[in-house]
Amino acid sequence: MEAIRNALDFSDFPRLDLIVAGSVGIAFIIFPFFPHSSFAMSTMIQFLMFSLYGMGWNTIGGYGGQVDLGKAQYVGIGAYTTAVMLILWDVPFWVSMPIGMFFSVVWSFIIGYPLFRLKGHYFAIATIATSLVLKDIFEVWDFVGAARGLEISPIKYHPPDFLRLIFREDVYYFYVILGFFFIGVLYMNWFRKSRLGFQLRSIKDNEDVARSLGINVHWAKVKTYAIATAFVSMVGSFHACYIKSIEPEDTMSLDISILIALMAMLGGAGSLWGPIIGAGILIPLKSYLKEWLGAQAGMVGIDLILYALIIMVISAFEPRGVWGIVEKIRRRKRN
Amino acid sequence: MDILVGSLFAGLLIGMVLALVALGLTIIWGVMDIVNFAHGEFLMIGMYTGLLTAQGLGIDPLFTLPVAAVVGFLLGIICYFGFVKFLLRGPMVAQLLGTFGLMLFLRNLALLIFGSEDRALHHGILVGKSFDIGMGVIVPATKLACAGLSVAAFVAVWLMMHRTKMGKALTATSLNVQGARYMGIPTEKMNALAWGIGGATVTIAGALIVNFWSVNPFIGLLFTMIAFAIVALGGFGSVPGAFFAGLVVGMITELPGFWDFFTYTFEADWMVDIPMTSFKYMWVYVAYFVIMVLRPRGLFGWKQ
Repeated sequence: MEAIRNALDFSDFPRLDLIVAGSVGIAFIIFPFFPHSSFAMSTMIQFLMFSLYGMGWNTIGGYGGQVDLGKAQYVGIGAYTTAVMLILWDVPFWVSMPIGMFFSVVWSFIIGYPLFRLKGHYFAIATIATSLVLKDIFEVWDFVGAARGLEISPIKYHPPDFLRLIFREDVYYFYVILGFFFIGVLYMNWFRKSRLGFQLRSIKDNEDVARSLGINVHWAKVKTYAIATAFVSMVGSFHACYIKSIEPEDTMSLDISILIALMAMLGGAGSLWGPIIGAGILIPLKSYLKEWLGAQAGMVGIDLILYALIIMVISAFEPRGVWGIVEKIRRRKRN
Repeated sequence: MDILVGSLFAGLLIGMVLALVALGLTIIWGVMDIVNFAHGEFLMIGMYTGLLTAQGLGIDPLFTLPVAAVVGFLLGIICYFGFVKFLLRGPMVAQLLGTFGLMLFLRNLALLIFGSEDRALHHGILVGKSFDIGMGVIVPATKLACAGLSVAAFVAVWLMMHRTKMGKALTATSLNVQGARYMGIPTEKMNALAWGIGGATVTIAGALIVNFWSVNPFIGLLFTMIAFAIVALGGFGSVPGAFFAGLVVGMITELPGFWDFFTYTFEADWMVDIPMTSFKYMWVYVAYFVIMVLRPRGLFGWKQ
């Protein structure tokens, strides 16, 4: 009860934030009733998925300050668990998703325990290495379709199938992921005020001081890593049902991991709204660049060049993100 | 037996080249404590430089090294003054993502200019020739020459780092930036120099590798990860460490050969079923992970 009350309590934000956040939330709910293209709809779903990934990353990377660039492996574990269970044993999404989360969390403990002996760059690169190892294994593992990947054929089911999450129209997917999104926001709101949230922030500021205050630094990091993993794996399961064809190259590649971290940084790591703002800027930008420039003949890669330039400019000149700018302006006003 | 010796030899030769790939990364890392994700992309640019110079001027690929070195040096300096300098003020996550952006930029620029198909060299005085060194082991002449030239480049950099004033200033900067600045060393210039040397060594390695490896714009990431593994194993910022670690990683990439040897020797049928060649580079990542966890300083490292 206490936890739920804490999760619903947004009173420590300024009123302006709450008005903006509330109106954006309502806009999401009524968005499908307005005329929209299917491109806008799929961009919207992508945005919600990636803001959930970003929220997961934000727990360990934003509040905890541990730069994790291996989140894609958990997208893969979640997606593959759901897809394999659905294809082979006809297990509904709502059962296979928690199982996928369980696998991801177990794997995160196995690699997280040694991983958190490392710090800084060394940690970041080690997470990339684990992710690439898992991707290589999935690329040769015949049980999960090796490099061809798996395909969920929607013909066998009768959409709309709410148990297995097989729909013909995107609008159903939109509301499912929107539900996850709101739960995610509430969870993060609880998390940042929880004991673990405060412990993490003190670890980020100064690890030695945190240890001297009696915080079990290693265990706090491993726990948070598992929480971040659960988030990512959940959305990974959704990804399998939504995209319906998964392969190691596009679910587990390094680009996904980087994109997740990049969004959180762009929005402002370590704040509740940061990942959402970051995803809201980056995902539409990426899809529109691809739609607009990606298909032009003789210009292969031009959209990614622009995208890379944007990454470079942001990280060189505004590394604290959009939320960092907002807070800077506010602080100036207050003084 | 010949498989074993052949794999051993191939591992050593490729290891010497890989060590040169990692040398630039370890210098940059040691001096500035920054991770360069674009390292593999520098290598890719070196490979294209070697290839295009050899084809354009019609000279032997082994003589393109000076061109590649100049291109790499300029590339490193431009990247430092145009971009990396600004990254240094930000938090670590911004540095990681910034160099990742640089990597994406260079990769897609190459894709735009050169297209996505594989390109390879087909001419040159050494292409196609090989030596029989006994016991049925045949060594391609290009690999042998590349390994030799790598070692020469390595020795040159080592001498520069240890015997010249400039190299000593670089080492001082990597040991303690503040102290070096108090002693009158222009640390800003030293940072730029580290990027220049790092770029030059890795493009030389690229121009060597293109002699026996086809090039496409996506080849960079593999070499970036291999270089990270070598640097981790050898110790961050250690030049001799990078050399020995390069040899070890070269051996690791030849694991499939050793695997075949043991399969035939013990006639173990279960070993045949495991597709070892698909895992060729996975062992490099595994090695990186294990080394980092067990001995974060690496074999020869002094920087924690």
